[in-house]
Amino acid sequence: MSDEPVIQIRNLTKIYRDFWGRKKVQALNSLSLEVNKGEVFGLLGPNGSGKTTTMKLLLGLLFPTEGDISILGKPASDVSKNEKIGYLPEESYLYRFLNAEETLDFYGRLFDISAEERKQRTNELIEMVGLQHARRRQLKEYSKGMTRRIGLAQALINNPDLVLLDEPTSGLDPEGSQDMKKLIENLRDQGKTVVMCSHLLADVQDVCDRIAILYGGELKELGRVEDLLKEQHETQFVTSHLDDTAVDEIKAVLDKHGASLKTCGHPTSSLEDLFMKTVQRSKDRPGQRYIPSAESKAPPAESETADSGS
Amino acid sequence: MPTVAAFGINLMSLQPVEFELLFGIGLWAVVFGSFVVLFLIVSIATSFPLYGAAGPGRVLAGMLRGFKEFVSPSPRRVYAIASLTFKESIRKKALLVFVVFAVLFMFASWFMASPSDRPDMQVRNYVAFVFIAINMLVLPVVLLLSCWGLPEDIRIRSLHTVVTKPVRRNEVVLGRMLGFASVGTMILLIMSTVGFIWIQRQVSDNVELLCRVPVYAVAGPEGVKFLDRSGNPGAGVNVGDIVETRSFIEGGTRATGIWTFPLDEQADTLKLESRFEAFRTFKGDMNRSIRVRYVLVNEEKSLKVPLPPFEVDEFGTNEMVVTRTQKWTDEQTLETKNVDIYDDLAVPSEDGQFGSLVVQVQCLDRSQYLGVSRGDFFIRLPDRSFTTGYIKAVIGVWLKVLIIVMSGVTASCFVKWPVATFLSFKVIVIGQVARGFLDKVLSGKQAGGGAAESVYRLLTHMNDTTALPENPLTSFIQLFDHGLQHLLWMVKFMIPDLRSFGMSDWVARGFDVPWGGVMLPSIAITVGYFLPCVLLGYFSLSMRELEAK
Amino acid sequence: MNNLTSRQRKTACVVGILVLLVPIVILGMPAGDQAEASGGVLARLRTEHDLGESDLGQIDPTSATMNLVLLGLRGVAVNMLRMDLDYYKNTKNWAELRATTDAVITLQPHYIEVWRFLSWNMAYNVSAEWDAVPDRYYWVKEGGKFSQQGTRRNAEVPELYWETGRIWGQKVGRSDEWKYFRKYFNPDEYEDYEGSVDTAINAEQKDNYLVAKDWFVDANVAEDAKVQHIMMRALFRSYPTRAQLDYADARQREGKFDGVTVTAWQQSFNEWTQDYGKMPFKAPACVLYMEANEDDVRQMADDNKVDERIVQKWLKHYQHTTNYRYWRSRSHSESQPETGEAHKLIYEGEQLYKQGELADALSKLTRGMGLYASIIEAHPELSSEDLTAEEGMWAVLLWQKILELQQKTIPESFALKSLWDRHQGLLPELESRFNRLGL
Repeated sequence: MSDEPVIQIRNLTKIYRDFWGRKKVQALNSLSLEVNKGEVFGLLGPNGSGKTTTMKLLLGLLFPTEGDISILGKPASDVSKNEKIGYLPEESYLYRFLNAEETLDFYGRLFDISAEERKQRTNELIEMVGLQHARRRQLKEYSKGMTRRIGLAQALINNPDLVLLDEPTSGLDPEGSQDMKKLIENLRDQGKTVVMCSHLLADVQDVCDRIAILYGGELKELGRVEDLLKEQHETQFVTSHLDDTAVDEIKAVLDKHGASLKTCGHPTSSLEDLFMKTVQRSKDRPGQRYIPSAESKAPPAESETADSGS
Repeated sequence: MPTVAAFGINLMSLQPVEFELLFGIGLWAVVFGSFVVLFLIVSIATSFPLYGAAGPGRVLAGMLRGFKEFVSPSPRRVYAIASLTFKESIRKKALLVFVVFAVLFMFASWFMASPSDRPDMQVRNYVAFVFIAINMLVLPVVLLLSCWGLPEDIRIRSLHTVVTKPVRRNEVVLGRMLGFASVGTMILLIMSTVGFIWIQRQVSDNVELLCRVPVYAVAGPEGVKFLDRSGNPGAGVNVGDIVETRSFIEGGTRATGIWTFPLDEQADTLKLESRFEAFRTFKGDMNRSIRVRYVLVNEEKSLKVPLPPFEVDEFGTNEMVVTRTQKWTDEQTLETKNVDIYDDLAVPSEDGQFGSLVVQVQCLDRSQYLGVSRGDFFIRLPDRSFTTGYIKAVIGVWLKVLIIVMSGVTASCFVKWPVATFLSFKVIVIGQVARGFLDKVLSGKQAGGGAAESVYRLLTHMNDTTALPENPLTSFIQLFDHGLQHLLWMVKFMIPDLRSFGMSDWVARGFDVPWGGVMLPSIAITVGYFLPCVLLGYFSLSMRELEAK
Repeated sequence: MNNLTSRQRKTACVVGILVLLVPIVILGMPAGDQAEASGGVLARLRTEHDLGESDLGQIDPTSATMNLVLLGLRGVAVNMLRMDLDYYKNTKNWAELRATTDAVITLQPHYIEVWRFLSWNMAYNVSAEWDAVPDRYYWVKEGGKFSQQGTRRNAEVPELYWETGRIWGQKVGRSDEWKYFRKYFNPDEYEDYEGSVDTAINAEQKDNYLVAKDWFVDANVAEDAKVQHIMMRALFRSYPTRAQLDYADARQREGKFDGVTVTAWQQSFNEWTQDYGKMPFKAPACVLYMEANEDDVRQMADDNKVDERIVQKWLKHYQHTTNYRYWRSRSHSESQPETGEAHKLIYEGEQLYKQGELADALSKLTRGMGLYASIIEAHPELSSEDLTAEEGMWAVLLWQKILELQQKTIPESFALKSLWDRHQGLLPELESRFNRLGL
């Protein structure tokens, strides 16, 4: 079971058409990727790159023009797959006239959860997202951050195996994003699979095991975060503070091995570099795209712990 | 067409409607079945160009899965969506309609005459007012709510969070319907309770509110027959009324109206009630009204028992209590003996448990006419309370609420709310107001021909009785209209016939709402529309990309 | 911000709206059927201070309220109601028709033609649809009361007073059912009818024509201030006296030839010649009054600075149009005790004939005919009037039939012979009336 990918996307194409059936936008072009159990998978891409479309295709909110999706072993059009999925939409499209308790209770009912369990989970989740003080207030009185939190809570009401998060940290203050990231790590620790898409690269870099970068509906990069960020022809040391003599000594060693010191300082948030580079490359050479190979199917490093955790 | 007719208040004289449940169910099955078959054929046919030979298999598999989903909705989920809908409607101020309701009732007396010396008119107006007010307030609110709910849910994408849960689309449809129906029910219940109390308070103390229970003539042409002035089977006379509801019997001749009533109960007395119209060709004796006589007849046994003549109380009621035993004089032997209504006079028939009773109606004044229609003459059983009738009339409005909710929710599954609103509104209007017109057009009785022909006549200033000239254009027009007629014929079976739903008419006129001809068809129609509506809503919602706006 | 929750605020708003509606109801409710103490405060104040709509100008508070209630859709609402009204008439839904009539007028209380049409509709159209006479009378009353209501809402409009007078006068006193209607209207006068008077229309228990006369007088008072648009002014002003004439005539038709009738005729004559006859009217060429001898004509010509012949011409025209000379001589002749006697003899002759007392009938008729002939001799212009001619012819016809029954020959010459010869055209109708007596 554990080798079975949670999400399997093959040659997924989505074309939006207008009323007359004419092609309007090609949102996705032959996308193929897999998400494995227990990993946190990030979908990256600029606006209009097809991240959200992919999510909605996964959920069955959109129907693919071509290609197949298997999610938790079921086709995307099968409603019963949703039993084990939690979804936090891009903006929290919740019912604004309900309060927090009613919201969670409502979604709990949709999972056919018994009243007792609903009550228990509602309390747990409200506490988890820190909304105890606002549990009886209607959502229309909520701030953006509070809305995100209740949105996450409703996504977890069914204790899902797979959580789909669309821009989980958007609209959150730094503290809120930190909480959100902790929650995501928490989910990973519980062995759940998380697929998220985001603009905030730092978030992705912090929490994702693997990422895919989409541009113009095509897959441009895919792999483990650290692999992608590793520059194979460069080596970087980060040490505790060294005095000048020590640096000179190290330079001498480098000279001996025929290497030259290019920079010496603090590392940058290089995911941003990668992202910008990928985007730039795609603009320069639009045809090129990433084709997943067998090698990239390697299981994530913490798969063992993930298994034991679930 | 009067304004109030748009709200289901039918003001023509009350006529018993004939309705056969089995025939209705059969018709439903045929229509529904044909649509399902048509749907299958079309989907399979369109699947070929899309998926090639695998198409039909995919369609059938999809249908099968759909069917499985469809037949096993989870009550908890349906209830969750229904109660969400209810909360939504309440919190979005649908109940402001009560303010309008209160205002209407506060100002009602400004617009209402109170002919206190005509209690029958008083009751009629008050009951009619209450039901017009309720109809006018409840139906538009329910219409707008049910047509707005789902599209708005899709527009602001809150439906995304619902359908990404294990919710079947039919559960969404069912939940929405249930929710809006319960909002409508609540509003209706409160309003009708207030209305009931209001009527009780407004009506003068000397007026008795009650519901007559009529037994009408047996269904079909056998129920009411006419003899013309020379005694041959024929029809009544038309005296030139603009709206022809009654046929007229000429007085002082052998012209007769013959009613055949089913006898289902035995009692010592039989109450005959009529509300005929008088038409004078000359003033005659003004001091008294036109005189009428009932004759109880059993042709086979050659029994003819004339009852004492009476004067017509026009636009009022004529009651006559007939005892079970009547005196009969043999015309030949002049012998008088007693005859029993049930034992001697009743004609054995399948219509009534105790056979049926034939009553002839004759007008006695020469050259004066008596206007009669099927519903004008009936056997009156013991009265029921006004409350009974009132509740039934409220049920009539309630069934209409259900129909509106079903059509509104179904329509909003595949079109945006303005279109859905318009569509449901049309369904109601056609079902209720234009139904008679539709029948007339389809039966070819509408003068001036079909749509294209009417346009032609308008443009050429040709009146509707002149025959069309023979030329290629007119043949084309007629062909076109013929095609339209077929389309219309199909539409006729799709749009509910809501004419029986206006049950308050009966109550306003002091009658109980008849079960067989009025309540039953209304309930049957409502139930009959449920399955197709949910099915249509389910498939259109399932086949729809909710994201695509 | 205050510290109320949004729900509390909204509830407060709704309650506020309802509370504010209460004064609207109390103040603005329109007046009902009964004149005194009905309707809202404003309507009652208006009655109390005798304010018509015109005194209040455009700011009639009731109408303003009504517009508010209907959110400015008054015109649309009225259109729909008018169509409903027609539908109810065609489908004979009288209760709904009555209610809709009131609704229409609540929305359009100042359109004179609407009042006139609606009252006429009930008194004439609807009442004719009913079969029983009491029912018919009920609708005549509804129409008349409705018209009365109109005069209260539009106190300055002469047409509405006139319309009311016409219903209580002509409709009650001249329709086919007049015998019954008059009894219902004023039951005390009739021993054979027990019923109570409707105080809303006849508080003083008067004859229907006298009630009508009061309304026509009111119409004339209103006409002093405001032009009416129904008919020629000379005709309009004649209605009070015409009602008085009709009153006297109706008593005769009912066979009441007592002093009251004669006095009524005398009063009619005085009003006709003194009040109405001396009333100046503005003809196209001159101002004139109708009770004028040659001296008066000359005076009028001088006053108007026109030729005498022109005054003569217009005077003749006016007198012809208003039937002035006929009514003058009729009321004059009827004021004479012998005329009453003549009518009485003919009437009694007919009654005796019906009872089969042929000999007595014959003697009464013979005497009546003699008297009648002498009256016509005194007032020759009467002989060309249908009503007079008809009565005389009727007397002769009865007289001849009795002679025929008694198998006597009809003498060559008899009283009223010239009238008889002159009006042979009336004979077929009288014959058929005779046949309907069924004797």
